[in-house]
Amino acid sequence: MPTGKIALTTAELVIVGLEADTKESATRMLAERMVAAGRVTEIEGYLEDVRLREAQMDTGLPGGIGIPHARSEFVTHPTVAIGTSVRGVDFGAHDGPAHLVFLIGAPSGSDDAHLHILAALARTLVHEDFRQMLREADSPTVIADIIKKEVTL
Amino acid sequence: MRIVAVTSCITGIAHTYMAAEALEQAAKHLGHDITVETQGSAGSTAMPQSTIEAADFCIFANDLDVKDIARFAGKPFVHVSVSTVLTDAASVLSDAVAAFTSGTLALVEAATPAGSASVLSTPTESKKRGFFRRLFG
Repeated sequence: MPTGKIALTTAELVIVGLEADTKESATRMLAERMVAAGRVTEIEGYLEDVRLREAQMDTGLPGGIGIPHARSEFVTHPTVAIGTSVRGVDFGAHDGPAHLVFLIGAPSGSDDAHLHILAALARTLVHEDFRQMLREADSPTVIADIIKKEVTL
Repeated sequence: MRIVAVTSCITGIAHTYMAAEALEQAAKHLGHDITVETQGSAGSTAMPQSTIEAADFCIFANDLDVKDIARFAGKPFVHVSVSTVLTDAASVLSDAVAAFTSGTLALVEAATPAGSASVLSTPTESKKRGFFRRLFG
C-alpha cells in the first residue's frame, strides 16, 4: 500500500464507549489519541482545521455516523481514529446521533497516492454491514482489525 | 439505463468517495449501469469519452466545479447535492431516471472557453432546461 508500513488505524486510535456529550469533545478525545500515536503534531492546530471544515457543513451522515475530517499540516500520515458510542453523539445528521465517529486526518502536503487509503475508507463507510460490525465490536483491537481487513486498496 | 456521474466535495477526502459508492450500490440494486468519476483529493481519472457518449444521462453530485464539464456537452443531466446522495441514493437514481424518461432533463451546454463551469457548484438542484444558458449569460 502506498502509505508504507503506517496503518490507517491501530488499537490505540480506537475508543470503545466514547464518553462525550458533544461532537467537539468527541473530536478532541479522538485527536488526543492521534497525538499520542504520533499522527498529529499539534492538537489545537489540527482541531481548528477540523472545526473549519465542520463549520462549512455538518459531517453527521445517515446510518449513525459522524466523520469530522480535515487535511491539515499538523497530520503526519493518513489516519482514522474511531470512537463508538451506544448513546450516540450529535453530529447534525437528520436521522439521529452518531454511534460511530470517524476522525479522519490527511496530511496537507501528501500526494494523491497517499490519500487512496482514505478514499477506500470512505467507500467502506457507506456499507451498513461494515458499520454493524464496528458497532458490535467490543474492543479496540477488534475494530482496528476490522478496518485493516475491510479497508483495502 | 446507462448513467455517468461525477462526485466532489469540499475537502475531497470523504464525501466524494462515499457518494460514489452510494450511487454505485444503488445502481447495482436497481439494475442500472453507472460509471462514477470521483473528483477528489486522491487524484481524478477522467472517464473515457466513449463512456460519456454512450450514457443516457449524467448525475452531477458536486460541491465543487465539475472539471472539464465540456466533455458532457449535450448530455441530459441532473445536479444534486452530495448529502442528498448520501441520504437516499436510490431515490436520486429513480427520480433522475423518471425525469430522463419524461424528457424533462436540462442539457449540458457547449463549452465555456475554460472548458469548465462554475454554475454546478450551486447546491440547488436544477432540472430546468436553460439552466446553464441563463447562468452563462
